Formats: sequence, structure tokens, C-alpha cells
Amino acid sequence: MTITRRTFMESALAAGTVLALASALRAQDKQTIRMIMEDIQVFDPVFSTSSAAINHATAIYDTLFALDANLLPQPQMVGKWDVSDDKKTYKFALRDGLEWHDGTPVTAADCVASIRRWGQVEASGQLLLERAADIAAVDETTFKITLREPHGLVLETLATTGQPLFIMRKQDAKRPATEQVTTNIGSGPYRFNADLTKPGARYVYDRNEQYVPRDEPASGFAGGKVVKVEQLIWENIPDPQTALAALQSGEVDFWMTPVADLFPTIESDPGLVLDTLGQNGSDWLVRMNFLQPPFNNVKMRQALLHLIDQKVFLRLLSPDPKFGRTVSSMFGVGSPYSSDVNTDWFKEGGDLAKAKQLIAESGYAGEKVVILDPTDWPEGNLASQLLANVLQKAGINAELAPMTWSELVVRRAKKEPVAEGGWSLLITYFSDFEIRDPMATSLMLMNGEKAWYGWPQNEEYEALRAKWPDTETQEERKELAREMQRIWWDYVGVVFLCQTLTPTARSKSLVDMIRFPSIERPMWNMRKV
Amino acid sequence: MAPYILRRMVSAIAVMAMVGIFVFLLIRLTPGDPAAVMAGRNATEQIIAGIREQLGLNEPLPVQFIHWLSAMLHGDFGTSIFSGRPVLELLLQRLEPTNSLSILTLALSVAVGVSFGIQAAWRAGGLVDRLLTVFSAFGYSVPVFVIGYFLVYLLAISVAWLPVQGYAPIEEGFGDWFSHLILPTIALSLPFIAFVARVTRASMLEVLSEDYMRTAAAKGASSYAMLVHHALKNAGVPILTVIGLSFAYLIGGVVLTETVFNIPGVGRLVVDAINNRDYPIIQSVLILTSGVYVLINLAVDLAYTLIDPRIRY
Amino acid sequence: MISSANIDAVPTTPLGLSNLPRLARRYPLVLLGGGLLMLLIILALAAPLYAGDPQNMDPFVRLQPPSAEHWFGTDNLGRDVFARTVYGARISMMVGLISALLAACTGLLMGVVAGYVHRFDNVIMRVMDALMSIPTILLAIALISLTGPGIGILIVAVTLPQTPSVTRLVRSVVVSVRERPYVEAAVCGGARLPKVLRRHILPSTIPPLMVQSAIVCADAIMIEAGLSFLGVGVPPEIPSWGNMISSSRVYLASAPLTIFAPGIFLTLTVLAVNLLGDGLRDLFDPRAKRRR
Repeated sequence: MTITRRTFMESALAAGTVLALASALRAQDKQTIRMIMEDIQVFDPVFSTSSAAINHATAIYDTLFALDANLLPQPQMVGKWDVSDDKKTYKFALRDGLEWHDGTPVTAADCVASIRRWGQVEASGQLLLERAADIAAVDETTFKITLREPHGLVLETLATTGQPLFIMRKQDAKRPATEQVTTNIGSGPYRFNADLTKPGARYVYDRNEQYVPRDEPASGFAGGKVVKVEQLIWENIPDPQTALAALQSGEVDFWMTPVADLFPTIESDPGLVLDTLGQNGSDWLVRMNFLQPPFNNVKMRQALLHLIDQKVFLRLLSPDPKFGRTVSSMFGVGSPYSSDVNTDWFKEGGDLAKAKQLIAESGYAGEKVVILDPTDWPEGNLASQLLANVLQKAGINAELAPMTWSELVVRRAKKEPVAEGGWSLLITYFSDFEIRDPMATSLMLMNGEKAWYGWPQNEEYEALRAKWPDTETQEERKELAREMQRIWWDYVGVVFLCQTLTPTARSKSLVDMIRFPSIERPMWNMRKV
Repeated sequence: MAPYILRRMVSAIAVMAMVGIFVFLLIRLTPGDPAAVMAGRNATEQIIAGIREQLGLNEPLPVQFIHWLSAMLHGDFGTSIFSGRPVLELLLQRLEPTNSLSILTLALSVAVGVSFGIQAAWRAGGLVDRLLTVFSAFGYSVPVFVIGYFLVYLLAISVAWLPVQGYAPIEEGFGDWFSHLILPTIALSLPFIAFVARVTRASMLEVLSEDYMRTAAAKGASSYAMLVHHALKNAGVPILTVIGLSFAYLIGGVVLTETVFNIPGVGRLVVDAINNRDYPIIQSVLILTSGVYVLINLAVDLAYTLIDPRIRY
Repeated sequence: MISSANIDAVPTTPLGLSNLPRLARRYPLVLLGGGLLMLLIILALAAPLYAGDPQNMDPFVRLQPPSAEHWFGTDNLGRDVFARTVYGARISMMVGLISALLAACTGLLMGVVAGYVHRFDNVIMRVMDALMSIPTILLAIALISLTGPGIGILIVAVTLPQTPSVTRLVRSVVVSVRERPYVEAAVCGGARLPKVLRRHILPSTIPPLMVQSAIVCADAIMIEAGLSFLGVGVPPEIPSWGNMISSSRVYLASAPLTIFAPGIFLTLTVLAVNLLGDGLRDLFDPRAKRRR
């Protein structure tokens, strides 16, 4: 008994010394911004595409180019650049004053290694590497990309947003893309404070005093990254009620992902504000398995398109009509390529009679439809349950397969029939910003085995998509997009459930946050008043 | 007594070995892929395969088991697949909330339970005794998450006397720490209070029927004062029993309580790890909790013989 | 596992069933617990006769307060909370009763073997120790992760951690009975094992086993609810009290009935089983009642 108590006390004391450091963080001054962010399970932005990893990397790393508020690529680490007359050689010179958090200068060799590592995993980066004859450092601060053939999208690629090209030290970037970089040494506006960080609970970032911002004003991810506070603290508070209480009491200043059911409470609090920060939101969708019955039949896919009533899912996923809308273009709502080509025949869905007719025409004979249901992801779980209910009401033999997300990602890779452990339908969402780009987004591929889970195959569509990188102007791309969308909806590459806008919640004293359509957030420029 | 201790220790080691093999197999045979979770929501198969290779998840099971066992025998519980941090470090960071909750729960249960039990035994069949019967029936029957939400609704949402949820480290102020722990401690303590009270009551009734008590009463000693005196002297046995029997149960209760009140303790660590298939964390927590359970029960058995001279092996 | 029966000495008095009605009058707990349990079972079985469809979803009427149409209001998918609560009783009862039965059978078998066959005693009891040393909920979660949520694996996961307590109980009874003079005499007199079991050992084992089974049943119901509450128990589309509470956590302030309706039914059910267990113990061991 005494032994037990002493053991308890000793371990409590040991934990106490670790935590003692944290007390210094409690100061509620204007120099510290506390934010409720997602848990960062993986730090390496090449290793993981999770938005948590990307946000972390945005804070500590810098990029060569970045998109400004008008979605045009602007130089960030690059000072001067030029392109040869035959458009095959790009030469980039780093600007002055770039320095790693360990005090060493950023070199062209670091950039080359980073491009090569990132280019193994990111779709537009892969394309760049395919088309490049050589990527090499010219001297300490200059490097060039030599192309085999002209490529219209070099700057867009270097400035890409979904999984951006973050520049890491050469010794980090030399690791295989599948081996995690955990040194967390970048050249960006914040330094990662590993001592005060408690994985799973709290992540701390200090202002990088050595960072030299560009002179231009901040615009999107471009322009001067001026940090106006001493410290950022990112808390992981998974329980929404707790997160709300912390925000209301002023313990935190910002909540990245408030849940929809708490919007009214947040809006009624005079000290808080809900703000989408310019985000385009998330497009929720059902993905079918195109290889297996019944959804290998285009009639069944069209039936699904008629059956799903976006307004019903909207009501569930976004109870507040201000923060949700329907979506029918394959390029989402906020893209320059969005159009209503070939969408009028199904509109927002919800036509049960038409769906039943198509189900009958398809010759559906009661085959089991397995819906992968992620039980540890609340919204995905709810939407899956509703989907099963909707299908059952239409006479489809739908069954939920409940599992954790970690099991779901294994199961969704199985191409076998449902009887052998395969699947029929799954629900996920893509950022509306992401699906504007048919080159970088795996969802928009229709090249069979290489396409995203579900494996749709359509040569005609792929032929059109192959023309995308060679377009010169946005007008050309818009025309191409209309053609692609015509095929997409005939084939039914996906069925949208709805679009939700995911506003952030923050205290009104936190101002000057940068607005941008992507989910990932620029963390500079903001300040507390 | 030495052979007894030796026998107990050998069987404790046998139990631990069985737990080790069992836990390892259980976790590795579970479907789900940590590599896929790490790669992010919409990653491709090719990336995931690379990560799996890197983590050594493709090696045969016996090889993985040997690696794991030899590392553990060297005190290395491995590193979390996700954060890349040592498991032991992650556990230590989560220990404070869990220990605070467990210690407060044990303290409350023993304090309230022992006095409740003495009162009930003193007037067996009286009002307090009947109250104990009702209370213990209730205490055993209401799940911690039901009473937890009820308390939150009553005391934190309706009247806002106490924080709804969360945890405040003790070095940031005792008051804050304590106020965050009041509701979870009460919720978790109910069955333990009932348990301690009934154990105390039963052993008090036995004491009351002992010859020396009758003798003392005959000599004119105030018998209530005497009962309390003997109660305190004998309180060790019920308390030990509670700790020994209820450690495993306490951990289960802690997992649920931490989820209800969103306390970042070991319970939440392990639930998250199970969802993510972060094998090293799950294995270590299962092994360590069962190890602590075995040790505590060993200690309790030995302590019995010290506290109560009537018990001999 | 914590349970009231662990405290008192193991009752071993065999008892004729003919006395039951008379004794039930003398032991009101059996009537109270048993009656409440019967009522809940009838409510659960008759649910289709008086409650609506527990599965029907309609997001347009989500999170409604109680009304004539929805007695307990609706949940976050617009399902009827009352219907789900009474249907939820089915899964709880089923898991509780099947687990109790399974644990009793397994425990009886293991306990008799351990208590009677000396060679197996140590092995069986160490395996039981190992099972007992892993916290119940963690062991159950780990078992369920093997296949993902489902009723079958859930019952296994709830039953397995309960087996050691039954095995220990049965073994202790068997060991004490076996050493009684008349049993030793019977064994020496050449009585065969099945006969010894039937005539001497089982009659002493059944009463405490029934008491322990009630405790196992109550625990099983609690564990099922706890697992479902953590999201690893019953599949989400099946109405279960744990699932309901778990999916309504965010609405504690705005729609408290979505949590309290299943919570109260869950507590009542466990209470009924516990009272029945207490009553049975008094019934089989009047001495224990006097001491209580």
C-alpha cells in the first residue's frame, strides 16, 4: 500500500517537472496567440497531406513561390527569375537574407533537394519531374530547371497549395519521401519550440527573429510574412464543448474547426465572430467502386445521382443555411472552371421516382452494397448512416461497414467484390479549392488503376485532361474544362452530397488574419488588440 | 513466508509473460494500417506502401515480436509510430491528469466509504444502514458516463458553478486544478464508495462480535468511541482490498471518465492510439497496466500479513 | 470486478426449488429486481407494437424537443429518441443475458476442471489471472478491433473479461466441496466422476453461480454501453443506449433528453439486475442477509 502510493506520487512529480515549463505559457498577453487547431500526428508535409501537417509546415518552412489573393503565383524565397526564349530553361535566384533556424544560410542545393523529394509524391510535382531534363544548382544561390519540352505551369506548380513545395535543408530533403523528417528546422517566419510542445495536446511556435520578410504587403500566401506576436500556441481540444468554453472564457483566441451545431451559440456571443476567412469550403461526396457491381453499371451511378438529395445532406452537415450550399460542377463552386454544363438533368438530386426507374433499368438484383462507415469521424459517420437510410428507402440492399478511419483506409484500397472484403461506396470530402485543378487532384483522374479509390476509367476524358498542362491561357482551360465536365457527368465520376463552408471562430480581439480560399491558413500578419 | 513470496513472484512472472504474448498477437492481428493513417485522408496507395516498408511493418510477426520483447526488457517501450516520440515520454506527459483523478477518487472513496460503513455497522438495520443499501444498489448500477453527464448538466451547465470539462495542471494553481476534478472524481467514485462502505461495514460487524469487544464493553468503555478506534485500526484491510481488487476496474472507469470530461490523460491516449493503430502505445499501456495490477496485488497480499497479524500463509 | 457478492462469503447452501414462492415473499429484492427486469424486457419485446421506427431518419426534424409525435424529441439525424430508447433495451438485454450465460458455462467448465483436476489447476488459473490483469474495457476494445464493431465479437469481448471471476468462484466451491468428508467418502467408495459432479459438486455450485451470473449480466450491460459510448461497441445504425449517448454528447445543453433518456433506462436495467442478484444471494444464503 505504501509502495503503491509512493509510486503514484513519484510519477506524478516526474510528470509535474515536465509540465512546470508550461506554466510560463499561461500569460494572457497580446504577444501570445492561442489557437485550437487539429492534432498534428505527422510533422512532415511530404510524408502526410493532412491539413494539420500542412499548417505546421506553413508556419516553419518557406516556399519558392506562393499564390497571392488573386491565385496568381508570386515569388517568395525567389528574388529574381527568368525563362529562356524557347521556354525550356527557368533560372531562379534566391533573395538575400534567407537563413535556416539553425543559423546556416539557405542554398540552391537545399531547393533542388526539396523539389526532388516533394516531386515524388505531389501530382503536379511528378509531372514537373517527368518533363524536366535536369534540375540543378548553378551556384550557392541560383538553380535552374531545364525542361525537355515547354511546360505552361512551372510557376503554378512551384506555388501549388494543396501539398505545397516547402523548402527544407538538404540533409532533411535527401531522405526518402516515405521517411519522416522530424527535425522541424525550416527557414520560415516561425521556429518550432519542441521543448514546450506536448504531442497530442499542445504545439508551440516562436517568432523567428532572423526572418527577413519581403517588402510587398501580405496577400494570400505571397508578400511579406510579418509576424506581429512572439508566440503561437496550438492546442488540440477534440471535444467541441470544451473548445467552445475555452474560447468563450478567453483562454484561446481562435478555433479552427468549430462544429456546426455550435454556430448559433458562437454567433450569439458578442465577443466572438464566425468567419470563413475566404475559404471555399468542402465538397462532400460519395465515391463509388467502379470495378464491382452494382456501381460498375453507369445506370446505377446515374440512379445514385438522382437519388441523393443534396438539401437533405445539407441539413445534416450544415444546419445553418449560411454555411452550406449545393454543388453540381465537377470543379466545385469557387473555381474559374466551374460551369453548369451537363448538370441540368440531375440538378440537386432528390428524384426518387427517376432513381427507382434507373435502378430497375440497370437490372439491379439486390446485390449487397457496402458503405464504409468511419465511426471515429463524427460527420462522416452521420453522413454514412443517412446515406444507408436513403439507399434502403429506394430499395437498395445497403449495409454499413463500421470501422475506424485507420481500418477504412486499408479497406478502401481493396478492389475485390464485397463478398471478398471489398466495398461499394464511401464518403469523404475534398476541399473545394483543391478540385479546381484536374492535374493536382487525384479525385479528378479517370485512368483506372492509377485513379483515386474507386478506379474510374474513361479514355476520352483522360485524353482531354492530358491537354491541360499545354494550355496557355485560362480561356483555353475553361473551354477544356467544359468538355471534361460533359464526360464526367455522363460517366458519373462522383456524387456530391453538398458543400459545407467551415467557418473558423475567433475572439474579436484577434484581427488582420489573412483571407484565402484553401483550408490551410497563413499564420502571419495577425495580431491581438 | 519466504517461499510464499517466491511462489507469488514466479506466478506473477508467468502471468506477465502470458499477457505479453497475448497483447502482441491481439494487436498485430487487428486490421487497420498506421501507415495509411499517417499519409493523410486522400493519399495514394503507392505512398502508403512506402511508409509501411519504412516502419518495418512488413517483417514477419515472430521477428517483430523478438524485436519488441528484447527492447522492452531493456526498458525501451518503443516510439510512437505517429509522433516519433518515445512511448514512455508520452505516457509520462499524460500521467498527471490520470494520477490526479485516480488518487482523488481513492481518497474520496476511502474517506466517505469508511465513515459511511462504520455508521451503518454501528446501528445495523438503522436509517444509515438502509441508506447504504439504497446507495450501494444505485452506486453499482449507474454508469460513470451517465452520472458524469448528469452532474455536468446539473452543476456546470444549469448553474455554472464548476468547469464543464477539461483539465488544469496543478502547477497552474491548486484551485483551478481542483475545480476541474470535482465532477469527474464524484462521478468515478460512486461505485467505489459503495464498495468501501460495504467492505467496512462487513468487517466492523465482525469486529463487533469479537470477544474482546464484548469484554471491553463489559468493562464500561464507551462502545462507539471504541468502535471508531478499532475501525481505524482495521481500516487497512478494506482499503487494501479496494486497491487490489479495483485497480483494473479503476483504469476502465478512468478511460470513460476522461472521455466524458475531456481530460488529456492516459485513458484518452490509449483510446486515440487504438483508433490510429499506434501499436507501440497500445502494447505498452496494456502491458504496463497489467504489470501494475499484478504488482499491486502482490504488494496487497504481502501487506495483509503485515497489517493483520491473524492472516498467515 | 467490483461487485457486492465479492464481499460476502461464498454461499454454498443447496436449496430446493419448491420453496421459491414463499421465500420470494420474504425476500422482496427478488420481486422488485425481477419485476422491474420483466417489465423492461416486455417493453423491449413489445416495442414494435407501440413505438415508431427507430431507424427512420429525417434531417429536417432533427433535435426537436419532446412533442406528442416524438415523446422524447428527436436526435441529430431526426430519429425518434423514444423509439430508439425502447429498442435500445433489446441490445442491452441480449448482450447482458447471452454474456451471463456464456460466462457461466465457460466459467463452470474451467472452474470444475481447475478445481478437480490438479494438473490443469495452475495453468487455468494463471491464464485467468492474465485475463483479469488487463483492464476490462481495454481488453474488450482490443478484442473488438480484431473484426470491427459487430454483435458477435462484442459478446465475446464482453464475456471474456468476465470469465475469470466465474472460474475463480466455481473453483473455490469445487475445492471446498471436494474436501468434505462425505464427498471424499463417495470418491473413495468408487463413485465415478460424472456421478460425483452431479450428486455433490454441481448442487453446491449452482446457487452461487446464479448470483455471480446476475453480477456478470449487470457488468456486461455496463461494458456494452461503455464500449458503444466509446464508439467501438454495437454498429452505429443499431439503436443502443451507449451509441445514443455518444452521438448526442454535443447536445447536452440543447437537447438533454437525447442523453438522459437512454441514460436513465440503462441505469434502471442495471439496477434491476443488481437487485435481482442481491435478492438471489439473500435467498440462497440467509446468513448473509443477517450479516448485511
